[in-house]
Amino acid sequence: MSSYRRFPWLFLLPSLVGFFAFNAGPILISLILSFTNWDVFNPLNPKAIADSWVGLGNYIEMWHDPTLHKSFWNTVYYVAVAVPLEIFISLMVALGLNRDFPGVKLVRTLYLLPTVTSIVAVGLLWRWVLNPYVGPVNMFLRWAGSKIEGLFQLLHLQVPATVHWLATEGPGWLSDERWAMPGIILAAVWAGIGFRMLIFLAGLQNIDKTYYEAASLDGAGPWQQFWHVTLPLLSPTVFLNTLLALIGGFQVFGLVYVMTGGGPLDATNVLLFYLYQKAFGIFPPDMGYASAIAWLLFVLLFALTAIQWQLRKRWVWEEA
Amino acid sequence: MSKRKQKIADAVIFVVLLLGGLTMLVPFLWMVSTSFKEPGTLFDLPIQLWPDKLHWENYQRVLTAVPFGRWYLNSLIIALGLTFLNLTSGALAGYAFARFSWKGKDVMFLFSLITLMIPAHVLIIPLFIIMSRLGWIDTYYALILPGLFDAFAIFLMRQNFISLPRELEEAALIDGATPWQIYWKIALPLAAPALATLGTFTFLAGWNSFLWPLIATNSIEMRPLTVGLAVFNNQFTTEWTVLMAGLSLATIPPIIVFLAAQKYFIRGLTLGSLKG
Repeated sequence: MSSYRRFPWLFLLPSLVGFFAFNAGPILISLILSFTNWDVFNPLNPKAIADSWVGLGNYIEMWHDPTLHKSFWNTVYYVAVAVPLEIFISLMVALGLNRDFPGVKLVRTLYLLPTVTSIVAVGLLWRWVLNPYVGPVNMFLRWAGSKIEGLFQLLHLQVPATVHWLATEGPGWLSDERWAMPGIILAAVWAGIGFRMLIFLAGLQNIDKTYYEAASLDGAGPWQQFWHVTLPLLSPTVFLNTLLALIGGFQVFGLVYVMTGGGPLDATNVLLFYLYQKAFGIFPPDMGYASAIAWLLFVLLFALTAIQWQLRKRWVWEEA
Repeated sequence: MSKRKQKIADAVIFVVLLLGGLTMLVPFLWMVSTSFKEPGTLFDLPIQLWPDKLHWENYQRVLTAVPFGRWYLNSLIIALGLTFLNLTSGALAGYAFARFSWKGKDVMFLFSLITLMIPAHVLIIPLFIIMSRLGWIDTYYALILPGLFDAFAIFLMRQNFISLPRELEEAALIDGATPWQIYWKIALPLAAPALATLGTFTFLAGWNSFLWPLIATNSIEMRPLTVGLAVFNNQFTTEWTVLMAGLSLATIPPIIVFLAAQKYFIRGLTLGSLKG
């Protein structure tokens, strides 16, 4: 059947309206706003835009804004720790669960529970779990710390300060500048493992079993099979998963919003949270500057994807 | 490796996996256990893992202090509305790209794919401005209508329609059916599995969406569950038992739905990974 040769108005109308009204239009507005200091109380017309035009002003301001720098490095910190942890743990879990043993389905389901929980609920739950005084994490750490302390005392040794601190106090998650970001990362990794694992499992199940048979005939042990069969054949999935985790990581927002509100002292203020603050959290809102942050984040993500794409050729094994 | 060694290795792996799985479960159990504790007893030592007596008053308090039912309903309306809109417009446009040809089709397709590269956060400020001008802030329009165009849905449905056999559609065309009739009576029913998977994913994404609803709603009544909970958190900062009761109410039903329809969720989630 040759295709119908005409413009399918009826079929395309909803998407066209959506495209111009809620995608292309807003993108254009956002780009223009980033060159202005227009605010919501002005009319949205060419004259008001021209009156508030600041050229590259917002972008130059970003260059000199210490809070922006801080939120940039916080975001980098978050991504640099959370993404490798998430990828590594979920890969290990997927490898372990990619086999048949009684109860495997149940265990898999356990790992998926946080995935179906909204990120807001995860954040609230972890604020409670990480409560420095009555949360189970610190209760466990204090218990373990006191056991170690007891061991030292039993042997008549000097108790190290860290052990004593662990036994009596423990990390001040979320309220201490040093421990706030690790707390958020803990929640993020806990919540993110299930989904990454699912993607790895899908990738593992696509690997042809005959490769393993051939490798094992050649006398390759489990370790060699992992390095020389599984990992190369899984590398496209590792690539995809890492890229998605990076892109998601740079846009972390919900956890920060509910767990710390960017604090203490901006210790967990990340780019998207700073954007939100500038546009919706201060009065009067600075929509122009916030839009400029949005484009900075976009450029970062774009560059990151491009770099990954280039590196891909180096380490991703593809069937010729 | 000997058989014996292999068995030991398997057992170790199993135990580690199970411990990891329990780590996933324990925070939820802690949440439920806290929600039944007596308000104000949390700081007493020794700490109870499970209360001797179930304190339902936490649930009473949360249900009377905030419009929980309304938030549930809002989340449902938003998620269903988004799913409906997304599937309808995505399937229509997907069919157009699969079966029609017109001048500029490739350029249009390319443009829609480019939008996949633009992260949602670029859109929120201008969308907020547009919605305010339209007077749609704090209405379902603002929360649902932005789902009208979704390049991912179009792309997925296009791939699906291309993969369908053309013979049936050709026969109907010879019998004098219009493209519109063919679409509704033949092509769309055949696309049901793809629609179900895309629908599951869209529903989940809609149910869990946070940033946009946070910006697009002002009144307590219009908030979906995610935004309601986040704001409610600021209100009950120190009332942990009440907060955990609310959290249990918000978390347990979706988990039950997940357990019931696990197969579709997993398909939808894996599919969603392509979207990112």
